[in-house]
This record gives sequence, C-alpha cells and structure tokens, in this order.
Amino acid sequence: MTSPGDATPVKPPPSFSPGVGRSASKSRYPDEHESTASIDAELSEARSVSSPTPPLSATTAELPIRSASPQSRSVRSSTPQLARSSFGSPFDGRFDGSEDIRSLIIRAFSPTVAVYASEDTDELVRNKGFKGGFWELLRPFGETVTGKVIIRDSIGSSRAWEDYGVRFVDLKGLGRAPASRDSGRDSPLAQIEEVLEQQLGSAEGSLGASLPSKDVLGFPATTSLAKLFLRQLLSSTPAAPHETFGHPVASVIAISSRNKAPLETLRQLYAETNTGDKRLPDWVHQEYLRYYVLVHDEERDDITESTKLYDQMKRHFGLHCHLLRLRSSQCVVTDDDSVQVPHCEWLSPQEHLSGVGEAETLVDLGTDGTPYLFDSDVSAIKSFIRELTVQSVIPFMENRVAVWNDQVASRRRGISGRFMSMSRRWAGFGSSSRSGIGGSGGGNSGNYDTEHNYYRQDTPEAILRKMADFAFMLRDWKLASSTYEMIRSDFGNDKAWKYHAGAHEMCAVSMLLNPLAMSAKIKLESVDQMFETACYSYLTRCSDATHALRCLALAVELLKSRGGSATESAARWAMRVMDFGLVGSVGQILFMERVAACYASKTPVGGAKWGARRRKAGMWSIFAADQWLKAGKPTLASACLEEAERLYADVLETDGVFPMPEMQSFIDNLRHAVKVEYLQARGFDAQDEPAADDPLRTEEISEKLDKRNHRRSLIGLPAQLDAGTLMSAGPRDIEEEPNDDFERA
Amino acid sequence: MSYYFTILSPTDTPIFNIAFGTSKSGGDGIARFRFPDTAQYMNQFIIHSSLDIVEEAQWTNGGMYLKHIDTYPPAAAYISAFLTPSGARFLLLHQPPQLPNSGSSSGLGSSSLLGSSGNLARGSTSSIAANPTSPQTEEAVRQFMTEVYESYVKTAMSPFYKQGMEIRSPVFRTRVNAAGKKWL
Repeated sequence: MTSPGDATPVKPPPSFSPGVGRSASKSRYPDEHESTASIDAELSEARSVSSPTPPLSATTAELPIRSASPQSRSVRSSTPQLARSSFGSPFDGRFDGSEDIRSLIIRAFSPTVAVYASEDTDELVRNKGFKGGFWELLRPFGETVTGKVIIRDSIGSSRAWEDYGVRFVDLKGLGRAPASRDSGRDSPLAQIEEVLEQQLGSAEGSLGASLPSKDVLGFPATTSLAKLFLRQLLSSTPAAPHETFGHPVASVIAISSRNKAPLETLRQLYAETNTGDKRLPDWVHQEYLRYYVLVHDEERDDITESTKLYDQMKRHFGLHCHLLRLRSSQCVVTDDDSVQVPHCEWLSPQEHLSGVGEAETLVDLGTDGTPYLFDSDVSAIKSFIRELTVQSVIPFMENRVAVWNDQVASRRRGISGRFMSMSRRWAGFGSSSRSGIGGSGGGNSGNYDTEHNYYRQDTPEAILRKMADFAFMLRDWKLASSTYEMIRSDFGNDKAWKYHAGAHEMCAVSMLLNPLAMSAKIKLESVDQMFETACYSYLTRCSDATHALRCLALAVELLKSRGGSATESAARWAMRVMDFGLVGSVGQILFMERVAACYASKTPVGGAKWGARRRKAGMWSIFAADQWLKAGKPTLASACLEEAERLYADVLETDGVFPMPEMQSFIDNLRHAVKVEYLQARGFDAQDEPAADDPLRTEEISEKLDKRNHRRSLIGLPAQLDAGTLMSAGPRDIEEEPNDDFERA
Repeated sequence: MSYYFTILSPTDTPIFNIAFGTSKSGGDGIARFRFPDTAQYMNQFIIHSSLDIVEEAQWTNGGMYLKHIDTYPPAAAYISAFLTPSGARFLLLHQPPQLPNSGSSSGLGSSSLLGSSGNLARGSTSSIAANPTSPQTEEAVRQFMTEVYESYVKTAMSPFYKQGMEIRSPVFRTRVNAAGKKWL
C-alpha cells in the first residue's frame, strides 16, 4: 500500500532506479488533498445515487476485481498489466526491483557519524527551527551524499558509488541506547508492527483518490509496504557490542562563531568525548576520527573573524576541519529561496511512532510542520557533508582497514595464527600458549568478558570484527566476507553467541552482496548453512528476535535478488519467518507476499517452459489475498488477487478456470468476498447484504449485484463505454458457465 | 499420517481423488489433515502448486516414480509423484500427524492456512508414519504407486473409458483403498 507517510521520507539517491515511483508520489499529493476534503461528500453521494455519476463511475472504475474472462482481458492487458509490471513480473522484477532492494540494504549499513555540538551551536540551530539542535539539522542530508563517492578497496581498485551516505547520530544518546531498549515496555518488533498498522490505517483513510493514481502509475501495491518494513527492521537495531555498524566512525565536534573562547571549547568538547559521562561504553572503539566544524553565523558575525579563527583551528587540529556558513534566522515558506528539508529515510520505529502524527498534519495542512531552509544553507550543508565523507571519513576508514588488515588480520591468517586458533580449540594441552602472539592466544575465555558479554574494544576479536564491518561499509564485500569467515569460529569457541551469530549473518550477507563470487551451488549451500547458524544462535541462544528477523529478512531479499535456484531457498526462509512467529499479523501477510514474489521471480530456463514457479507464486498470492481480506483490507486483497490471476494466467488452459473444483470454488468465493468488502469499504451497497459475511452463499449475492446495475446488458458493448462496470461484475456471468460445466463433467 | 491421492490428466484436470489415513501402527484409515474442515481446498492448492516441480523433475529424472519432489513447509505436507506414459500423473500428498503440543501457532488469523509448525525429522524413528522422507517411506510409496498404476492401466483399458475422463469405477476406488491399506 502506498501512502503519504511512506512516500514522503524517501529521499531518492541518484541510483534509486525507477523513476516511476518518484513521480507517482509527487503527483499524488494534490489528489490527497482533494480526497480528504471531499471524501465524505463523495461517499454520501455514492450512497444515494445509483446511476453512474462522476463519483460513482470513478469508484467503480477502480473496482478491484478484474476477472479473467476474454472480454476483460483486453481491458486488463491494456493498462494495469503494463503499469504493474514492475512488481511480481519475473522479467522486470528481478532487475529494477531487486536492485532497489539491494541498494536499500547496502545503504542500511552506512558509517555512523556522531555529532557533538557546543551549546551555542545548538542554540543557533534551534533558532532556525530545529529543536534537536545541530544533529537534527545535519541528519536528513547525511543520508545521501551528493555526487559520486569513490572508494578504494583492499586490493587497490576503486569504484564510484552514487548512493553513498552516512548516518548522523547524537553522541549524547549513543551509549545509552541499549540500556533504554532493554527496559522499554515493548520490543522493536512490536513497534515495527505498530508502524505498519499505522501506515495501513493512514492508507485506508486516504482510500479515495490515492488508489487510481497508484494503479495508473504502476506503484506496486505492497512492495512499498514491504520496503518500509525492511527499512524499519534495519534501522531498529541500536548500537550493540556484537556489531559495530552503530558505533561512530567519526565524530563531528561543532562550535559556532558566537563562542567566546572557541579553541578552548573545542578542546573541552574533545576531552568530554574521551572521559566523563559522555564517554562511550567500553565496547566501542575509542579511536574514531574527530572532525571539527566551525559554524559561522552569516547574519550576525563577521566572516573575516571566522576565517581567522578557522585558520587557527586548522593549525591546532589538523586538516579535519570545516567552516560551515549558515544564516541564523528562521526560514519560512514564503521566503524566496526556501527549500523544504528532506525527510529522514532511516527513522527507527520508535521515532516513527512518535513522529508520525507530525507527518499527518503535514499531509492535511499542506506545508506547515516541516522546517524550511535557505537554499544557500542547504548547499552549504551538502558540500560540508560531501567534504566530510569524501575527504575525511572514507580515507580514515580505508586507512584503518589497511592498518588492521596488516597488523591483526594477516597475523591471524599466517601459519602461527592458524596454529594459535587450533591450539585454542584443544585448550587442554594448549595452556602454555596463553602467552602467545600479541595477546591473541588468550585461551577460550581470555578475551571475552563473560560477565558483561562483550569483547573489550582493543582485543583482536573486536578489532577484526570492526575491520570487517568497516570493509562492509566501504562496500568491499570480498574482504568483509573473508574476515567474517575468519573470526566466526573464534566466537563459537569463546561461546560469544551473539558475536557468533552476527559474524555468520554478515558473512553470508557479504557473500551474497559480492557480485563476483558465488556461482557454484556449493556456495549457496554454505550460505544457507550460515544463515541457519546465525538464526539459531540469535533465537535459541540469545533469544534476540529482532536480530533474528533482520537476519532472515536479509536472507530472503538477497537470495531472491540472486535469482535462479537461490529464489527457492529465499522462499523457504520467508516461510521459516512465518513459522517462527517472529512477525505480527501484518508482517505475516507481508511475508506471504514475499514468498509469492520469490517464486514469481524464478524465471524459466532456456527455451523450455519448465523451471518457473508460477503455480506456487499464484497460490501464495491467493493466500495473501485471503489474509488481507480477513484483516479487513479489501483493497490490498484485490491487488494480491489480481497479481495471482496474472501469475496463474500462464499455467491455466482457460483463463480464470481452475482444473480443481475445490480450488475453483475457493477462489470464486474469495473474489466475491473481496468485491463485496471493497464495495462496503467504499460505503455503498452495504446495507442490503447481510449475507456478505458468509462466503458460502455467494451465488445469491452475485445476482443481486448484477440486477442492480444491469450489467448483463453492458457486456456486449465495447469496453471503452465504462471500463469499470464492465470489468467489475459483468464477466462473472460468463465465467460461471464453464465452471458449472466442469462440475457436471 | 494422512494421505491425499490425486490422478491428474495431462491437462491438469483431476480424474480421481481420494483421501485416506494410515492403517499402519494402529491407524484407523481415516484422513486427518492439519487444516480445519473448511479448508480442505488446501490439499488441492498444494497439489496444484507442486505441478511446477513435477514439470521440472520429469525432464531430469528417468524413472516413472519421481519420489518425494516437493514440500509445503507451513503444513508439513510432502508430495510424491509418479508419471504414466500416457501423461497422467499420480500425486500423493502425505502429511505426518500433528503433535498435540505443537498445535498453537503464532498468528491467530493465519493458523488455519499455515497449519502449525512442522515437527519433521524428529528422533530417528524409521516407521513411515513418523518420517515422510525416510527411505522406508519412499519405498512404501513406490509400492503403492506401482500397484495403483496396475489398476489404473486396467481401468483405462476399459472400452467405456475415454482418455481424460473422470474415473468413477468403484472397483478402482476399492483397489486404491486396498493398496493404501497395504502399503501406507
């Protein structure tokens, strides 16, 4: 289901592939306003009027069921078929759809940059309308760095990325996140479910005019919801000891030009990040990059003063400095060069829940609620972030990876390292090796703090994991996967189960992301094995459902994007998710759809038609439709049903007629129930059908429907008369006949 | 173990259906599927969806008996297939009995469709009632299929039977039933 709240925060990176989605969400806005304003009027009109006045015809035109009889087929294939081809269609879906998901997954693991600003800087930014201070100002812009970012990997070849981003976090909240999460009343999973429900609710609310635009512009019905789910899932895991994606790679230390004693303040801020209560927990590596920013107030302060100060900063703190020139007054819409601040794409479910009300007022009232910025400010921030990323963060990370690779990893890879890890495995006689190389030979429980369940940040295990994570964030998946591979058994030996699970998970993920590796089938099996282990460790040994679900969701999406025989194991993992009961009812249905999508994306090989999984995909779509209907979402159910019909179209002799009688009757009932519910949801024709709840008595109801609109008389007419009425109910009559025929046979 | 046996014509139309339960180890021969009574269409859905696999497997496997080809994990349903030279296909869905303690599935609304969590391959029991993928089961299903095939050929050779017609012969039904009792 596409809905305003979902579409808005998407800040498309340049490589966000299909242009369709963007234009769809933009053009939908005017519709939304109209619909919310006039929905009541429309409904009451629809109730009273039976002839096809404009609102009625508008509603019936989007009536969901297009049953697959010959007449409707021509209609169906003309518009929606073309438009919807980006979803389940195996031929397109595999390319743009999965590239999109891959990009989403890759961007989910971006380097984290902590922001620590002085009081005067936060004050300056708060005056501009950002309550959260400097961090909130930077955050939306960090998600996409403008222009290409070139990264060199460990073997020296470089590659340009269009969709690189960094994640800004508030340094003050960083270390405390896990604690608050443990004591929180509801888990992230429950929150994700709540977000999904809200999203669905708001989508239902604007049921009116948003749907046709969706159909016409081909926004696939629920992939955006699935994407939202994935995004929420990937951003719901706070900084944890066992993976370093949430740990800061760098920290921006900011002061403003209003500061009376700038250099002292900078020193003080720096000191506070190392000591005192701002110090990060023991499992976070302390040697992250410090980046110093001077925020210059364009309106109140003198630029020559600031430049002088900036030169001084450079002399004291080295090259990692930036002068950011901002205007201090608040920008309003009516200003000439006002630019709306983009929405954050990676909001955690918690933030989503607290902030979603804000987004709604945004839709209703138009423009109020979101802050605006001057054009000059926006470009200043963007160029600052680009400089920060390209000139400081990435070289720093590349450098760290190279150093650690040299000092820690190669030692482990070498013959002595292998011997060490071997002797640790048989620790009975290996006790003398405790005084081994560089502290890495600490025996089983040497480095793992069993009391607090983490490795200290300077142990080789922690450093290797950090190095692998850095390589992963630099998108050097080959190095990442080999490093994860190296350390994953160590964690098992130490019984550090969370680390163990995390390393297995990321090893498999980086193997799947690596475009070159993995052609052999054996590899696929080992990837499956790794996911299995990771999932077992997360669930059974650590009872960490959030990470387990993330792991499985990644497995599903990445295996699906691999294509070929991997799609089948993707479908299997999706079924596992449902089996484990990790997701709520909405999530359950979403995963049903994912199973269908996985099977649908399996293309037949060669010239022969075998190898496709159309029937399976169709079956799962039907089930998903059934569940959406039970959940009271007839529009989504109809979308699934339509998808199922498209999938079944290839394998059935006659379109829409199933060979198996019980299947046929189930699908007929489902179709009918969806139609009735849909009409009820639109608010007309609900009063005289008490039997609508009973799916077994559909025959009578269908006659009623037919009589009401005299559809029989319309069947013969060409489709352009009123495509909606024709498609909706007319063809049912025709379709029934072969069906009856069959049952008699 | 509950069984659902279908013969499909070359055009995927079912020409014979029968559901029965195991008669081994004290079974009473009555099918008890995991789906509620209102959801018996699930068997047909699963059988129908496994045709995808049959179509693929028939080109890679030389024998007439394709063995266990497909699984539907949410309901722990296993499909074995047998091909006849005339293009008719025998499909047998077998489902191990549900353990009473594993009954509560997670999603309430979805439990009717998804059945309950699978409890396959637990323990090392080699009786066919417990383990649908064991060699013993494969062998038993093979015997069953061969016996049904024999009766099918006899039925199909009847001068009153046309290719693709539904098989309504009571004799055939009894024979299939007997084969089921004997082997499964």
